[in-house]
Amino acid sequence: MKSTRRDLFLFAGGSAAGALLTPAPWRLITDTALWSENWPGVPAPPRGEIRTRFTNCSLCRAGCGVRARCVGDQPVQLTGVASHPLSRGVLCPFGLTAHHLPYHPARLKQGPHERALAAVSAAIGSGDRVAVLDLQPGRTASWTYRRAMAALKNGVYLTNGPSVAYDLHQAKTVLSFGVPVLDGWGTPGNVIAARENFRLIQAEPVESRTATLADVWLPVQPGDEDATALAMAGELGADGSALVLDHRGPAAAMALNQRLGALGRTVVARPEAPVPVEWRSAAPATALAQVEDRSIRVLLIDESAVDGYVPWYQIERKLVLDNPVVVTFTASHGGYARHAQYALPTAVYPEISEDIPTAIDSVAATFRLSTALIAPPAGIVNPAEWIATLAGLAEGDTIRERADGIHDSGRGAIYTPADGKTVAVKDLTAEAFWKSLGEAGCWIDEPRHARAPETTTAVSEPHAHDSDVDLPLVAWLAGPSSPPLLSPLMTKLYQESNLRLAPNRVALHPSDARAARLADGVHAFFQTRLGRCGVDVTIDPGLPAGVVQLGTAPGILDVYRPGIRAKVVPA
Amino acid sequence: MTHANQPTKAARYGMTIDVDRCNGCGACMVACAVENNIPPVPEANDRKGLTWIRVFRVDNGEQGSARRSAYVPMMCQHCGADAPCVSVCPQHAVDVDPATGIVGEMPQRCLGCRYCMAACPYHARYFNWWDPAWPPGMEKTLNPGVTPRMRGVVEKCNFCHGRWHAAKQLAAANGQPDGPVSYTPACVEACPTGVIRFGDLNDAENPVARSVRENGSFRLLETLGTEPKVYYRSRKDWVRQIAAAPKPGQRKENGNG
Repeated sequence: MKSTRRDLFLFAGGSAAGALLTPAPWRLITDTALWSENWPGVPAPPRGEIRTRFTNCSLCRAGCGVRARCVGDQPVQLTGVASHPLSRGVLCPFGLTAHHLPYHPARLKQGPHERALAAVSAAIGSGDRVAVLDLQPGRTASWTYRRAMAALKNGVYLTNGPSVAYDLHQAKTVLSFGVPVLDGWGTPGNVIAARENFRLIQAEPVESRTATLADVWLPVQPGDEDATALAMAGELGADGSALVLDHRGPAAAMALNQRLGALGRTVVARPEAPVPVEWRSAAPATALAQVEDRSIRVLLIDESAVDGYVPWYQIERKLVLDNPVVVTFTASHGGYARHAQYALPTAVYPEISEDIPTAIDSVAATFRLSTALIAPPAGIVNPAEWIATLAGLAEGDTIRERADGIHDSGRGAIYTPADGKTVAVKDLTAEAFWKSLGEAGCWIDEPRHARAPETTTAVSEPHAHDSDVDLPLVAWLAGPSSPPLLSPLMTKLYQESNLRLAPNRVALHPSDARAARLADGVHAFFQTRLGRCGVDVTIDPGLPAGVVQLGTAPGILDVYRPGIRAKVVPA
Repeated sequence: MTHANQPTKAARYGMTIDVDRCNGCGACMVACAVENNIPPVPEANDRKGLTWIRVFRVDNGEQGSARRSAYVPMMCQHCGADAPCVSVCPQHAVDVDPATGIVGEMPQRCLGCRYCMAACPYHARYFNWWDPAWPPGMEKTLNPGVTPRMRGVVEKCNFCHGRWHAAKQLAAANGQPDGPVSYTPACVEACPTGVIRFGDLNDAENPVARSVRENGSFRLLETLGTEPKVYYRSRKDWVRQIAAAPKPGQRKENGNG
């Protein structure tokens, strides 16, 4: 038989076709696993000894207890501590991802240290007013600022922190005007534990997360809070079992809380852990509004720990017109670094050991340390040390001094997460107390030291204004302000799920969006009579018409105040 | 997943989720992503996102003060033996483990054809569109118990299979007989309100197994017969109506999700 070239091709083709009917090609496809298992683009997780370490979260003043699962010394997972007396095993989403923050791509790592020091020193030498704005008062660093300002001529210590604390466990009814009680307002674990015992009435125009789970949701428009409160006061009773919270601040609800008998019972003066006697001659805390306009030459802003945001327009009017020097200590470019001449980088949690002030929902003073889990990078600044050096304060371990002061008081007890035990301070030596604090212990004072707050009156600004006529919308914040840096993983998850409004976004009802000729996702300007800023637009049919819901980016907060009218215009 | 050493007594792990108490904080999503090394791809959006659990906001379709919303955490529902995703996979990359009832996904076998995504009635599977990449330094925070997956494969919830393995190893080290073990997935551990609970549905004494038999308990798209092992609870009729599958040709009248 003679074979031709055609036969050869037929044989080859037939063999190839026949091979497809055998398991061989499918086996080859399956074996792609052998390649993909070692795909070069897939990073390998770290290997090493698995350890458990404890700390307290310092992202906000809730200071929840944290159990860190570490590979070697590197935390790879953060969870709550179930036996913790304050946080009760709960961590919020921010806290769950805080171990990512040191690696945030937008983190500030370098700053003009020498130039900032020279500029501040020169301005202080001229004898003009110098001020520290502390965005989270009550810390040991806060007392360093107060002592530094007392040491400097014309030094002023400014705060914006809450002057009161609330006891939800004693409340039978909570009337909340737009306060996100169930969404990051207090210590999440404590609020959830108290929630079963009080009736929650949530009054706000938007059905927020808190409104969703409230017993009653009252869709009240911004500006109608006071009228609603007066109308409901009779129903709440005056035996001190009702409590009123207001998104405009404690002062806005002070008169009603006084009428309800809540002061000294469920509303108390913000408690603070004892301090050494020699610190008590420090500068007093001054509210920013009490400082006369155009009087501050040097302003130092500690943004490393924040508890709310002060709009820049409120700060700017206090600065002298002629060459003010503003230095901000921050981990991000996004906050006051946009306005300051000098932005100096700070450590982020969990890189530095620092203490956490008492939470807003604790009527007993607390003291706990956020012990460092990893080392900070080179080049970062400790704001307290920087300002203490500037004022010529003697160097020392101020946190240890304060811990000794607490121990000397003999008050309260300390809980240690490693063994879950609570020991009275009077049963511990100073060294043992300090050791427990270093192991993420939590000192809690006796509640009997709680006292009624000073009654203050809110400084109200008119809602309507001549220039408001072309501002058809009422601005409403979407939730509590978030930390300056968020884990990129968390940002991604909320972005793709639309579960939270991104900080740089505003949300509108479809009819309002149509009237403004805005489409979903477009870039636009959010405008009030305080100014305007660039935002991205989300159209949400769940919102009521006439309300623009705001993310909490500093740029938006700079042109916002409660109840302000606004419009959104195409970019 | 191999079944050469099947335990003598099989478990049937399942979940209950109390919709009425979920505040939509998203802690479950975040904890799941940390546990399972989900990469923080910045380009992700609601259609190309990668997550093993997503919290959806649903409402009763009303406007104004009559409007009511609820939050529904959605993950793989871990259907019964006839899970739709299993039968369509050409690579046998998906199976239902008879030892646990967990619907497993093997990314190393996955070709990325996405038949399983099309077959899943719960849209609980996600395609990995991008190379897994973390910002410089952040790869140090990866969970060593879970291998990151490569681009081009489908991913989904596996009830924290890494934790199940760890629990099995611990039980073996402690000399316990082979069989169901108790463990806690990351979302359950992180849920601040205790909305999500997890346990062995075959264990009649387990609180989770008891609660699935209570009134108000339901499963998503129950009429499809997929026998999911994730049970939801709600006292609100409109929530339960949203969860029910419309029969073919019947339009859903209420609800807006």
